[in-house]
Amino acid sequence: MDLLQQLQHANYSSAALSSDGSVSYQQLIAGALAIRQQYPQLQQQGVALRYSTLPQFLMALLAFDGWCSALYLLPETDLDIPEQVRHWPCEPSVIQHTTRSSQETLWYLATSGTTGTPKWIAHTFASLSRAVKIAADQSTLHWGLCYQPTRFAGLQVLLQSVLSGACISDCSSGDAEQRIEMMLSSGITALSATPSLWRQLLMTGRLNQLPLIQLTLGGEIADQALLNKLARLFPSARVLHIYASTEVGVGFAVSDQQAGFPLSWLDTRHSGLAFKIDEQQHLWLKPRHTPDSNLARRLDSEGYMDTGDLVHIQGNRVQFLGRDSGIINVGGNKVHPEQVEQVILQIANVLQAKVYAKASSVLGQLVVADIVVTSDTDRAKLQPQLVVHCQQHLARYQIPTRFNFVDHLSTNATGKLNRKDPHG
Amino acid sequence: MLPPILFNLFNGLIDTVKLEQTIRTTLAHVATIANCKLIADITDDTILLQSGLDSLGFAMLVAQLEEDLGIDPFSQMQIAVYPRTFAEFVTIYRQAQQDGND
Repeated sequence: MDLLQQLQHANYSSAALSSDGSVSYQQLIAGALAIRQQYPQLQQQGVALRYSTLPQFLMALLAFDGWCSALYLLPETDLDIPEQVRHWPCEPSVIQHTTRSSQETLWYLATSGTTGTPKWIAHTFASLSRAVKIAADQSTLHWGLCYQPTRFAGLQVLLQSVLSGACISDCSSGDAEQRIEMMLSSGITALSATPSLWRQLLMTGRLNQLPLIQLTLGGEIADQALLNKLARLFPSARVLHIYASTEVGVGFAVSDQQAGFPLSWLDTRHSGLAFKIDEQQHLWLKPRHTPDSNLARRLDSEGYMDTGDLVHIQGNRVQFLGRDSGIINVGGNKVHPEQVEQVILQIANVLQAKVYAKASSVLGQLVVADIVVTSDTDRAKLQPQLVVHCQQHLARYQIPTRFNFVDHLSTNATGKLNRKDPHG
Repeated sequence: MLPPILFNLFNGLIDTVKLEQTIRTTLAHVATIANCKLIADITDDTILLQSGLDSLGFAMLVAQLEEDLGIDPFSQMQIAVYPRTFAEFVTIYRQAQQDGND
């Protein structure tokens, strides 16, 4: 069943979303059917969708899943789409007939890729909605959407809300004060956010006024102090921190309000996954479902896949340390060190650059750069020049928060920068 | 000569003023690097997230203060506490400094 059929079948009578006014599930369904009626030329075509408002976006998702061959969710940043894919909204068609056949739609979501260059990853509706929980108590929730709905994390929240018959409000824009204001006026009871956003919401001093009964932390490592704080503020709520490897296409939730996950999971399966840790301290996961063919070749002989996440065992818990690849996570935004280094190296006086993460109690990690400069460089003058150059070529969260001038940077046997040693 | 209790109180006051000054200097410095425009008059009641400093700027402020003062109170907490106003922020650092000295 496609998304629209599922909602028609569920026949929810409540409000699906509220913003300025509320929109019911029946209105969403009617809106989606109207789009199919008005734009028959889009059937079996690829369609690219940009986010404008939640009602419009949701109606379009309902209309196009099971109707179009491909659905591209355009991120805020520019990313090319195949030539034959049509942008929506577009002009209505003059042809007014439609065929009724349903087809499987491939959903394309943008990811930052392993090199920092965004690329499209195809998903099926079944794989995107696998983690959705449908239960009576889920239908009474009022979700606050904190992530962009065109991204994986945001789409997960949106699908959870819609498929379970809950209500959702868009709280994905503005600063923490504006967002908390929006959440308070909407009466949000369920929220999924990065640990960094939770910290900002706590800084407003008004998070405790929200009647939260479900709190989810994801996209970054959840630390114990934050979990303790949230558990104390909302003693009867469900507090989950989720681990997701979007690359591997699997994830699991930890509900005991402790950082990391129980060591015992290495012996027993959990969330349909088997766990193991190799000598390099990498976490390997074995999913119940056979992953897509392009991932199948990454399986070891036992069917496990390397997540690339570093872990260590502390007492009876397995704790996350970060990515082995050196990818830096600044408040949920992924930064590729090589990309930042390339930009810094464009400055003539810079001979070598190494970009790495510094732990931050506010945003998880911050970007720091060690640079080697020519001997005649006026360091005091170069510093602001570096900042301006980076501002011109990088997103804010990618810009090093600190430039350390060092005499040399060590390289390994293959002549590459030694990334294992943070200060060499 | 001041009695010891007054002497300690006086010294404590000086430390507090010094600490607040360090935080203000660092704040201005970080705002420049972070490309944030601070509001003209930051008082005790200024709400941090409305001071012109965004979350990245705030993270940089905490990181820089760790270098300047040798403490990051937010990484040492068992139960996280987050300041809303500038005065609350200074208090958290003062408390952390005292805890460190005890």
